[in-house]
Amino acid sequence: MPVMLTDEIKGYIGRTSAEIIATDTVEPGAVRRYAQAIMDEDPGYAPGAEAGRYGGPVAPPLYPAFMFRRPLGTPDALTERAADPDFDGLVSAASDGLPELPLPGRALLNGGSEVEIVRYARHGEAVKQRSRYADIYEREAKNGTAMLFVIVETEYRTTNDELLLKVRKTHIRR
Amino acid sequence: MSAAVAMKAPVAPRQGPVFEDLSVGQQVDTLSKGPLTTAHLMRWSAAMENWHKIHYDLPFATGHDKLPGLLINGSLKQQFILQLLKDWAGDTGWVWKVKFQFRAMNLVGETLSIWAKVTGTRAIEGRYGLVDLDLGIVNGEGKESTPGAATIALPFRNGAAFPYPFVPPEA
Repeated sequence: MPVMLTDEIKGYIGRTSAEIIATDTVEPGAVRRYAQAIMDEDPGYAPGAEAGRYGGPVAPPLYPAFMFRRPLGTPDALTERAADPDFDGLVSAASDGLPELPLPGRALLNGGSEVEIVRYARHGEAVKQRSRYADIYEREAKNGTAMLFVIVETEYRTTNDELLLKVRKTHIRR
Repeated sequence: MSAAVAMKAPVAPRQGPVFEDLSVGQQVDTLSKGPLTTAHLMRWSAAMENWHKIHYDLPFATGHDKLPGLLINGSLKQQFILQLLKDWAGDTGWVWKVKFQFRAMNLVGETLSIWAKVTGTRAIEGRYGLVDLDLGIVNGEGKESTPGAATIALPFRNGAAFPYPFVPPEA
């Protein structure tokens, strides 16, 4: 008997986000900070990298998936929920555009991903994404507690509709 | 030399392996990251603007979420996997598909070794060779946390460079 997988939750399977355009274009400074944070200081990420195969300086392979930030003028969850002891700091609903699952207080773990890469995003390009709840299913953990596996598929394209990257992500809620 | 000139970073294409040189069982040189400190995790959280507290708020991680300590972000570990594969494939190959599961936690302070080895090869005639790899991330105690697999396209020894953006074999 499913504990977490209610009919209401099942109703989210197949739901698709609107097309969302990333907050900023691929900015050289943001690419530098990202490259330094992942400790991959590839010269191809630097402004002035020769055109070569990639047509100019590029961002790290998974960068498009991290371009969806909170725009100016939108609610700041960190401040609004500062007094909420259950607030985990995540503002995930804002990042993929999908309606948030009604699972208040349930922890979210990153279960893993399947990634398919077509090309790298170049400096200056604008990126958009569309996401979909591809599947939601329940499994029992070793200790007998229920875990919900939420599969989200996302396509990242340039605003010229050129495919960059596809990601199939597994979120575990428990 | 002027500052503007100094900022230029000419990039020579990095020659990766050719398909014919690979065989099942061959290992990719391991990539080491760490020891990873709270400063590394904070830098990554800031770079991606993701404020999940389990990576920097110890009382929240251990008290509220009942975790054994601050977790190294899965989102950071996956970048290390991509770096290993990208640097190995060079500018002549292409990291087409990668998958991985976050099966076990890695805690702040650990040093991670990212590994991959060839499990299969298949030639797509006239286009490129595909190399399948198993991969993962082990910590200093040898515990595997992130098992996965990848498929990488490599050029043939006497073949032309294959198109970029990458065209999958079924296309």
